Order: sequence, then structure tokens, then C-alpha cells
Amino acid sequence: MNVTITEEGAKALVKLEGRLDTTNADQFQKDIQPLMTGSHTEIDMDCSDMEYTSSQGLRMFLMLQKTVSARGAKLVLRNMKPHVKEVFDITGFSHIITIL
Amino acid sequence: MSLKKNFASRLSLYVLLISAGLMLVVTILFGLFSSSAMRLESRAVAERELDNAILDIEKVITEVERTVDNLDWVVEQHMEDESFLYLVTREIVTANPNIIGSAVAFEPGFYKGRQYFSPYTYIGDQTHEVHSIQMGNENYDYPVLDWYQIPKLLNRPYWSEPYFDDGGGGQAMSTYSMPLHDDEGNFYGIMTADISLAWLSDRVDAIKPYPHSFTMLIGRNGSFIAHPDENKVLNETIFTVAMEMFDTTAVQIGREMLAGAKGMQRFSNRGEDSFMVYGPLSNGWSMALVCSYADVFRNARIMNIVLGALLFLGLIGLFIGCRRIIRQLTLPIVEFSNSAMTMAKGNFKAAIPEVETKDELLKLRNSLSYMQQSINEYIEELKSTTASNERYESELNIARDIQMSMLPQDFPQRDDLSLYAMVQPAKEVGGDLYDFVVVGDTVYFLVGDVSGKGVPAALFMAIARAAFRFIGALGLPMKEVVQRVSDCLCDGNTSEMFVTLFAGRLDLKTGQLDYCNGGHNPIVVIDPDGKASFLQAKPNLAAGLFPGFPYQDEIITLKRGTRLVLYTDGVTEAERVDKLQYGEEQLLAWAQRVSPDTPSNVVVSDLFTQVKHFTRGADQNDDITIMSLLFK
Repeated sequence: MNVTITEEGAKALVKLEGRLDTTNADQFQKDIQPLMTGSHTEIDMDCSDMEYTSSQGLRMFLMLQKTVSARGAKLVLRNMKPHVKEVFDITGFSHIITIL
Repeated sequence: MSLKKNFASRLSLYVLLISAGLMLVVTILFGLFSSSAMRLESRAVAERELDNAILDIEKVITEVERTVDNLDWVVEQHMEDESFLYLVTREIVTANPNIIGSAVAFEPGFYKGRQYFSPYTYIGDQTHEVHSIQMGNENYDYPVLDWYQIPKLLNRPYWSEPYFDDGGGGQAMSTYSMPLHDDEGNFYGIMTADISLAWLSDRVDAIKPYPHSFTMLIGRNGSFIAHPDENKVLNETIFTVAMEMFDTTAVQIGREMLAGAKGMQRFSNRGEDSFMVYGPLSNGWSMALVCSYADVFRNARIMNIVLGALLFLGLIGLFIGCRRIIRQLTLPIVEFSNSAMTMAKGNFKAAIPEVETKDELLKLRNSLSYMQQSINEYIEELKSTTASNERYESELNIARDIQMSMLPQDFPQRDDLSLYAMVQPAKEVGGDLYDFVVVGDTVYFLVGDVSGKGVPAALFMAIARAAFRFIGALGLPMKEVVQRVSDCLCDGNTSEMFVTLFAGRLDLKTGQLDYCNGGHNPIVVIDPDGKASFLQAKPNLAAGLFPGFPYQDEIITLKRGTRLVLYTDGVTEAERVDKLQYGEEQLLAWAQRVSPDTPSNVVVSDLFTQVKHFTRGADQNDDITIMSLLFK
């Protein structure tokens, strides 16, 4: 899983590439640490090249969502591939996280 | 012992080869240098010998000449006394050891009107007795002989060409002739002294700077006066010999000798590389000294052989010495090797031999020692790691047993229900769970999947399973059950874990199914006619995320013969090495093939086998749970 973070003022543009599974979930958690502790008001994630996410990965998105909401910021996931989106739908995560 | 396998021998051999090569080069260079020096030296020696010999012969010749020259006035004064004339010749022969004959030969008719008068004294060739005779007569007409005629004509002293005298001496000789003149200067006779060529040859032969060198003396016309081969004397000239040799150089030498030149020439003496030094004598003769180079170098060659033998012995000594020293120096390496081998066989405490020198060997020893120390430390570390790993492993095994015992194994044996389930964790413990409870004619069942794997997931799973045990069979609608379980999980869930679950309640009398899908995969329904499909469910959030989330459930009625297949994503997301997943389509295709009345345990193990077959032995990366419920 490749995580590229670009900052535009208070907005963070994030590009996600590859698979997010149990083997690299810990690394992903470290990669998104700047977003958790940062002061961005808006986090925009481009998921067009994300191939897969495990339940462990979902947990990471949930943690990020909760942290971001707590400081009154916004998290948006974009361009998710259908089979990845399906995982978010099945687990009900689509209700919690904004997926465009 | 093979030379190639032994370091000391091999190194010594290299040293030997290099030394031998160097010695060879030096020897060759030295040989070239010394042979050229020796060549020059030999010529100098030969020239010196020749000069000495010439002086020596010259001295004899001069003595002979002087003896005759000094006595001519005696002849003139005592001419009348015949006996005195005999006495004079006798005196000359006896007083001078070099002279073997002497004569006073008068012109025909001069002495008292006699046709021939020539008192002559000689030493017999064999007897060595002194004889005095009058040698002129009809048979020995001396006035016509060279020794008489030529000095007479030239009117000066003359050394004859060598000849064999048959007048009295009876041997090969050369004669010094001096013309005699009276007071008016009229020629009246010849006074002679003979020297023996044999004697001359002996003198000349004695000149031998090298064992096989030889000296020769030639007369004015090139005939041999002295030569080691006596047959050549009188019979041959230097030119006849040179012709036989087919060597133009020899002819050239002959010409120069006759011209009275002094010099040195290299030539081939019947194939033998030789040189000749030559020089003139005052009487017109020429002397030559012939030396062969083989002779010159003979001693040098013997020296070379001795030197070669010594070098060979030296090299052998060098080889043996080198090998011994190298072997001694490299002995520690052999010992290190033995130590290393001992270590390799498992004795990591093997002693490493001490080294006294402060060189590369010490470095090697320190490296070995350091390696040994590191290995021992590593082994200790490994031992403790292994021990703690073993402890963890055994604890995990116990945890696994506990977790597995939480999953009910006493599947109901009923005519209207065939239920079977299994969990295969990816690690020792996992986050998947199933549960079922039969109360009267109602069966409550659940399949869940905790996010993540391993111990954290297992602990969360235990809570989820305990919550369902308490809440599931209370007779509440399923949406209530899931909500309460979720609330239960939310309580103190700081690590944002959650569980997706599918929970259902089936009334075995009516076939009414109340179910709630909390973020779980859609389950498979196989109708009594074998048609398989995913069961539609209202989307709900996974349990454990938000307390009080309003879960929704559905109620449908199943016909008898309907089968429900519940599973976790470990089935659909089972991956091969090439990342290809088993997927929902294959799952559905498999479900289509399931015979309606197959017992559930067979169905479950069949699907598990299918998945395992699909992954082709790739590592299982997620827990797999399968439950089959057949409503009969």
C-alpha cells in the first residue's frame, strides 16, 4: 500500500495505491499518522488505485474517521473501485465514512 | 603426499621455479660474458706464448748465426791447416748444443786445386756420436745444392728451406749458410751450421698453452719446418694442408704468414672452431700457434658442470628448507583449520591455538576468536529466544484450545435440522466465530468475523460470542439481539475493533426466519430445487462501532429443504499466490452443485476442500468459517 500525502493549505490530498491487508495494516497506520495528528480541516483521499482492503484496513479508516470528526474536520474517499466499495457497503462503513 | 594439495610444497615449488629461472638467466648471462672474456683472454695467452716461442727460437737461431759469424775469420786465418778446418767444424758442433752439423765447403778448385773439399762434422742421428768427414764427392755434388748455391748467389747469409740431408747427417734439417770472402772480397766458400728439425719440433711442441693446442713453424715457401705431425715436415706445405681443409681462411692465413705478417685469425680446423696466432721470425720463417676453442673452454665447461651440479644441490636444499620453514610458519593455519572444523561439528567452545607472531596470523586468530564469541553469544540469544517462543507457542496452543472449546461441537441431531459448522484460524487463534443454540423448536445461530487476526481478534471474538450466548436465545427479534451485542462490544472498545456478523433465528415448525446482517458477507441460500442465490439483507453497520445504532432485520419464511450457507470472507477472499481470489461467483457456482439432501458436515468440508484446492497450498491469510444449515 502506497500512501502519498500532498498538502494544500489546510487541505490534505492523499493518494492510495495497492492492497491494504493484514500484512501492511500496521505500516498503513504509521503512514496516515500525520493525518491523525495533523490539523487539516479537510482530507481528500483518492482511492482509484486501491485494489483491496481487509477488515483490518476498514478499522484504520474508522479510526481515522473518528479522529478527524473529533476535531471537526472532514474526510472524503473518492473514486473507489466497485469491488472495494462493496466491502464498505457490506460492512455498513459507507454509512459512517463519506464515499464519493 | 601430493605436491598440489600441500600449501608448503606448492609455495616451495614456486620459489624453486622462480629461483631456478633466475639462476638460469644469471648463469646464461654470466656464461656469455665469461666466454667472451675467456675468448679474449685465450687470444692474449696464445699471443704471449707465441711471442715467447718466437723469442725462444729466435734466440737459438741467433746463437747459431752468431756462432758461424764469429768463426769465419778463424777459417780465413787457418785456411792452410786442413786438420784445423775439421777442428773448427767439430768445435762448432760440440760447443753448441743446438747445432747438429757444421761444414766449411769450398768453391770447386779453390782449396789446393781440389774439385770438392768440405770438412764436415755431424752428430749421428741414432748414435749421438760426433763424426768428422770430407763430404764433397761426385755423388754429393754440394755446389749445386740449395744451402750452397742460394747464399752464394744472394751473397748474404741464408737459412735453407728444410730438407733431408743424405750427405752425412741423415736427418731432416735446416742449414744456416754464410758466404766466405777473402780480403779482396772474392767468394771462396760457404760455412754452415745445421739444426735438426726434429729437435726444433721438440722445442716448438713444448709450447702448449692448452692441452690440444699445437705450434708449427713454416719456411719461406710454406713448407713445414716443425709440426706435431712429423710426416708433414718436408713433405707438405701450409697450402696443401689448407686445401685439404677446404677453408679459404686457412689459405689466407698461409699467405699472410709467408708475407711475414703478424696476426690472429679464427678458422675452422676440420670442423673444429679454432683460432691461430702467427708471427714472423727474423730469418723469414713464420711461426703459428693453433688453439681450438673447445680446448680453451674445456676447463670452463668442467667448471660449468660443477657449478650446475652445485646449483642443483642448492636448489634442492632451497626447496627442502623453504618447505620446512613455510610448513612451520603455516602450522597455526592448520591448527586454525582443525579448530574451525571442530566448531563446524558443533563444539563451539573449541580452543583456538595461540599465535606468538604479530602478523596476519594473529589477525586470523582474532577473527576466528571473534567469530567464535559471536556464535556463542548468538547461540545463547537463540536459546533464550527459542525458549520464550516455545513459551508463547504453548500459551497460544492453550489459548487455541480454549477458543475452540468456546465454539459448540455438539451439533443438533434432529429430523428437521442438519447443522454443522467449522472454523479454521489462519494463526493459532483467530477472530472468526460461530455459535448456535436450539431452544425448543427454535434454532438461534450466528457467524461473525472480528476485524484483524490473532490474539486481539480472539479476545474480541470471545466477548462477542459471550454476548450472543447471553442475548441470542432470549427470544428477542434479531435486530434487538444484534444491537445489544453491538452495544456490549462498544462498551470500552477503545481500539476501534468491530465484528461483522450474521445472526438468525429459525422457527423449525413454521420455517419463519428472522435475520440481521451486521456488515457481514451476504449468505448463500440454496432452495429445495437446488437453485442458489445470495440472501438479500438490509445493510447494517458492523457490530461494536456505534452504541445505539438502529439495526434492521428481515423476516422471511423458508420452505423445507432450504439450505443456508454462512461463511466469513476467509472463503471468498481466499487467495492464491497470484492474488486471484476464490470470489463470490465461484462460491455461488459451488452452491449450485450441492445436492439438496446432503448432510451439512459433508457440505461444510466439501466447501473447505474446494477453497483449499483453489489456493493450491498458498498460506491461508484469513480465518475461514463455514456453517451449513439445512431446514428439513
